[in-house]
Amino acid sequence: MKETAVSILENIRKGSLEMEDYVFKKLELIRKKDNIINAYISIDSEDFILDRINEIKRNIASGKKMKIPGLVVSIKDNISTNFLPTTAGSKILENYIPPYNATVVEKILEEGGIIIGKTNLDEFAMGSTTEFSAYGLTRNPWDITRVPGGSSGGSAASLAYGSCDLSLGSDTGGSVRLPASYTATVGLKPTYGTVSRYGLIPYANSLEQISPMARSVKDLALIWDVIKGYDEKDATSVNNNYKSDNKFKICIPKEFIEESEPPIKSTIYKLLEKIENEGVAIEYEGKFENLKYALPTYYTIAFAEAASNLARYDGKLYPISSEGLSYKEMSENTRRYYFGFEVKKRILMGVLALSEGFINDYYIAATKGRRIIRDEILNMTKNCIVASSVSPILPPKIGERIKDPLKLYAMDIYTVVANLAGVPALAMPAGFYNNLPIGIQFMAGPFEEEKLISLGSLVEEITGLYNLIAGD
Amino acid sequence: MKYKIGLEIHTQLSEAGTKLFCDCDSNYRKYEPNTNVCPVCLGLPGALPVPRRNPLKLALLVSKSFNCEIPEFMVFTRKHYFYPDLPKNYQITQYEKAGGIPVCLKGILKYFDSDHLTWKSVTLRRMNIEEDPGKTEYSGGNILLSEYAYLDYNRSGVPLLEVVTEPEIPTPRDARKAVEYLLLTMEYIGAINPRLEGSFRVDANVSVEGGERVEVKNIGSTLDLEKALKYEIFRQSKIVEEGGKIKRETRHWDSIRGVTKPLRSKETEEEYLYFPDPDIPSIKTEPLLKEALSSNFMTPENFMNRITMYGVSQRIAWSLITVKPAAELFLESVRIGSDPKITARILAIDYKGLLKKSGKNIYEKSNWPNKQILKLLSTLVSNKLYTYDELKYNILPKLLENGNDMNLVLPEKVEPTNLIISVINEEKKAVEDFISGKREALDYLVGKVLKKAKGKAIDPKTIRKMIEITLTKH
Ligand SMILES: [Zn+2]
Repeated sequence: MKETAVSILENIRKGSLEMEDYVFKKLELIRKKDNIINAYISIDSEDFILDRINEIKRNIASGKKMKIPGLVVSIKDNISTNFLPTTAGSKILENYIPPYNATVVEKILEEGGIIIGKTNLDEFAMGSTTEFSAYGLTRNPWDITRVPGGSSGGSAASLAYGSCDLSLGSDTGGSVRLPASYTATVGLKPTYGTVSRYGLIPYANSLEQISPMARSVKDLALIWDVIKGYDEKDATSVNNNYKSDNKFKICIPKEFIEESEPPIKSTIYKLLEKIENEGVAIEYEGKFENLKYALPTYYTIAFAEAASNLARYDGKLYPISSEGLSYKEMSENTRRYYFGFEVKKRILMGVLALSEGFINDYYIAATKGRRIIRDEILNMTKNCIVASSVSPILPPKIGERIKDPLKLYAMDIYTVVANLAGVPALAMPAGFYNNLPIGIQFMAGPFEEEKLISLGSLVEEITGLYNLIAGD
Repeated sequence: MKYKIGLEIHTQLSEAGTKLFCDCDSNYRKYEPNTNVCPVCLGLPGALPVPRRNPLKLALLVSKSFNCEIPEFMVFTRKHYFYPDLPKNYQITQYEKAGGIPVCLKGILKYFDSDHLTWKSVTLRRMNIEEDPGKTEYSGGNILLSEYAYLDYNRSGVPLLEVVTEPEIPTPRDARKAVEYLLLTMEYIGAINPRLEGSFRVDANVSVEGGERVEVKNIGSTLDLEKALKYEIFRQSKIVEEGGKIKRETRHWDSIRGVTKPLRSKETEEEYLYFPDPDIPSIKTEPLLKEALSSNFMTPENFMNRITMYGVSQRIAWSLITVKPAAELFLESVRIGSDPKITARILAIDYKGLLKKSGKNIYEKSNWPNKQILKLLSTLVSNKLYTYDELKYNILPKLLENGNDMNLVLPEKVEPTNLIISVINEEKKAVEDFISGKREALDYLVGKVLKKAKGKAIDPKTIRKMIEITLTKH
């Protein structure tokens, strides 16, 4: 069944697809499959969805132009919605319903999207496997003994088993690209500042972007068009009219592929050969000198910002709170009992990185390292699109990676550089090995999303790997 | 004994209109608890601070007024500490050592010493903009007696300007004058209303020769500042004279008892985990300053120069300047031809006195007569239609009564000699009393004459003198 979001949209517009039937089929699928996959933390009620469908129909009838009327969208549970709880995967935000919508949510509603539910994630997006959620782990629909990647694993899985057409994740260091590559879906980490962060529960503000996901690059282009753009509610949002050309050359810094597992390496090289055969120039002599600094730089900055961002969860403003005889006791207890272990670990390391006597060697050093990496990446992406692995390894078994933090963090080696440099990066299917998806990453210069989408469209034509639904 | 005083003055930019990072009201006092709030100033996850132009512009104007070095960019930093009234458990400020850049790096606070009628100055170390926290209120009045604490975030996010001086202020009196001048300047800029409850507070540090630095926190008025400093200098000098040592500590000013009390001794450097706020890119100061300067504003010093240029003494000019509407009115009415000295005297002394006595707010411009009336009044005196005292005793009170109405009916002038003679003839007893030395009898006689004059223009001082002369001749 090669039903794409693009074709569904066409059918809805023609009137040949009944919106209720379509959406309720999705709900049924979720009821059938999600108790195993656990892609969702919360789902809309049928009444709510019916109201929403009627609203969209009224808008259509009144002639309102909408970009995605009737398409079913899932949203990562760290993006604020005033109609569903927004937990960020943490116990500490259980039952928290924000009094406002994130800017991207407003945009999706405005353009006729049906937000069906909120997807699972590692607590506060801190993780690469979606095993660190307070609401249970998410399984990979392609192999339920394996992880879907993280932290947007719920969004990726929700697409992979066909419960929605489009999804929003967030990407701090690879959090949509890694799950995309593990679930044969597509994820785009946009240029920093092109999508409003207003309403995104922060993990590491200077690195992350709300990021679209889909089952094909062409579908992705639909939701990308909805969510991008300047927002006065976000001071880091940029007002940009850059139009990228569609001429591309690919270059490959060896460091970005060589350390990957052999099946990944060979899959990517084989695909690159095919792309080259289509007339795209590929340069294999690229070099990325500073890759070895990427992970320590990334994690130091991310932990420092996280320690700061998570200070606010002390039991005074949100539903979850421990008792205590004083404010100090109350806040300490709340944080002790309702933050998960990984979150507490990252807060502690972040506090250390910012402390007197350590800040120069950690946080300040990392900001310097970041500048060096960014300059190298900007230079590299000036003339070509950088192709690489998304992850050095195939989707791990559940429980396999989280035992060893260094191994866990190493999964992000190829993805964090785009966040450190603020450039856009696209992850999409490159092939399969033993029925396990393998992804490829393309990284471009700032504001060259359109270029990535053109290249991605070409690549999915070449591979035929799009609109894949696990278990079909 | 020699000593040094330095100040940290926290002023609330209550007139900015908006909070520092959202559009909630900067003047939070008129709202029910937790109704002047939004996701941003509640620090809700995902809400983002976007610096508002007006508070930044006002802070830049203050910096400009005190000759600050204004950096090319401002950078906001986060200062972390856990506290119930701080929604995010960090405060957004401009700490310069952690990559932050404040609005003013170094300046000069030139202030007017009204005791000695001279200008003096103190070096400013820096000024920085930051957000005010919310408020904690206790059900039983204080933390020990209360079962509950209530949090009100109406104030959360209100822009504060922190002004830090070098420790070089010579006396407690100077500290007071410097702060009063700073506040006045900020009022003239339209940044603050210093008369609002809690609109500013001062932390002062004092060190006497041979002792360590002691900080006195949370002083809420300029009068208290002077008192607290005097007390602290006395306390420290006494300890040193008796051979004791002054240790580094933070004290608290108890304004009811008039003493400072230890708050926490041995100031350990607190760990605030400062770092630049990643949600707020650095802010270029030049375009903001340009925009701010396009609306003309005058500092008290500008007013002083203008007013004294008209031949008004510094003392009277200062008295005008301390009440902004009076100073403005003075210039407005002189510009259309009022006599400067007479106008100054009306505004700075007599009408101000009448307003105060009647309980009216002297800082409210609508309580003052307009420039045309002032011109008319000053002409009455300068053209010798009335003496100043006739104006003061007969016309000004009527003007106040009539609500500064332009259609004021001017009192008829009377020749008082006949009135005096008839009163002297009628009030034999009082006259005798006066002659036998009872001074109070004179007041009585003056009163009788005024009564006979019934609201006509008459000058009680002249009457008094005339009665005295007449009776002494007897
Ligand atoms: Zn607000």
